[in-house]
Amino acid sequence: MTDDKNIIVIKDLKKKYDSLSALDGVNLEVEKGEVIAIVGPSGSGKSTLLRSITLLEMPTDGEIYFEGKKVNEKKNNINLTRQKIGMVFQQFNLFPHKTVMENLILAPMKVLKMKEEDAKNRAIQLLKKVGLEDRADEYPSKLSGGQKQRIAIVRALCMKPDVMLFDEPTSALDPEMVGEVLQVMETLADGGMTMLIVTHEMGFAQRTASRVLFMDEGKIIEQGTPQEIFQNPKSQRLKDFLSKVI
Amino acid sequence: MSFKQEFITNFIKDDRWKYLVDGLWVTLIITFGAAIIGVLIGFIVAAIRTSYEKTGKLKVLNAICKFYLTVTRGTPMLVQLLIIYFVILAPLRLNSVVVAVVAFGINSGAYVAEIVRSGIMSIDSGQFEASRSLGMTYGQTMIHIILPQAFKNILPALLNEIIALLKETSIAGYIAIQDLTKGGYIILGRTFSAFMPLIAVALIYLILVLLLTKLTGLIERRLRASDR
Repeated sequence: MTDDKNIIVIKDLKKKYDSLSALDGVNLEVEKGEVIAIVGPSGSGKSTLLRSITLLEMPTDGEIYFEGKKVNEKKNNINLTRQKIGMVFQQFNLFPHKTVMENLILAPMKVLKMKEEDAKNRAIQLLKKVGLEDRADEYPSKLSGGQKQRIAIVRALCMKPDVMLFDEPTSALDPEMVGEVLQVMETLADGGMTMLIVTHEMGFAQRTASRVLFMDEGKIIEQGTPQEIFQNPKSQRLKDFLSKVI
Repeated sequence: MSFKQEFITNFIKDDRWKYLVDGLWVTLIITFGAAIIGVLIGFIVAAIRTSYEKTGKLKVLNAICKFYLTVTRGTPMLVQLLIIYFVILAPLRLNSVVVAVVAFGINSGAYVAEIVRSGIMSIDSGQFEASRSLGMTYGQTMIHIILPQAFKNILPALLNEIIALLKETSIAGYIAIQDLTKGGYIILGRTFSAFMPLIAVALIYLILVLLLTKLTGLIERRLRASDR
């Protein structure tokens, strides 16, 4: 069905909303350890593609495999799939009625059935890595946007995921806070995490990604190394897009 | 008759004030008993309705809930009380206060359900997605993420519902319950003076409502403070 080295395989994925086609036949294979940046104009289906992997969007047609198992079929337990795929949202989506620490240990305790002490230890270790261990007892409303997003990344990491998905993680941030979040993501990439990142940060994509996908109108138009995509674009649509964003 | 004499006749003589005090207790018991049942039913119905809307599951239960909401909100409370007392629960020969608690609870549940449902809908869908993305089930997400936040948003509306419920229990006298209203009515029957007992009853309701309103205000302010 799939190669072992491919952690995610997507075949001819389609998503239609009424007459609008958000995804129009996407094929993608993601190897373990790859850092893939997905770029393209808004409405090109980038987010839909990312969200389809954990079925936050139900595909209309096509196949999604994660670690060799088909994701979009009834007998697959989607909760198990989601445990292993960390998701980071544009709007952070921290739980406002819970402290930072409670945000971090809830799923490890309820889903992975970890002991509170173990979950807390893991959370503190990860908090230290993003430099926020002194914020453990704060409520999210006391944090800046950049801090919230770093906590949201830690929250996903507390589940020890095999893949991390980032859906425009810096788009809702004030410019001066973008750097601190990208820094965390770069560290994560250096550590060998498999990552798919929908982003408008072209500099970041160039520096960090091992592969860049350019999407438009629900299709992957062009893909390659950052070098190939940014210095040597082939399709006219990618050239037009780059001329607008860089 | 002077004011003083009238007061003595209506409240002091034969310990008539006890009709009001005993009636007040009954009114409070029915109100808070019914409120607890109402909130329980409301949360369950709202959970069923929203999970049907979100996932398409629980179709039959959702249909039952819709029927319950339509009937309960589409008929007068007094008619419901009489039907439950004289028809549905008649064979059980229950204490009429218990019947009233059940009847008012069922009625209130319909209104609470719609309050809770609007509370659940008011929570940003990102909360739901974030929780599910961590591998939590629909039920875990509801219990740990959605309902606690929804509850906070709807607490003022819930207290308003309890205020409405308190006033509505004044019809309990129809099934031979001596609540606050009936207590005043009994005094009227003994003394043949309407003014004092009825005004006293009205004042007691008013004070209770003002206390609950004050409580609502306090809680609202406390909740808003924790948002900052």
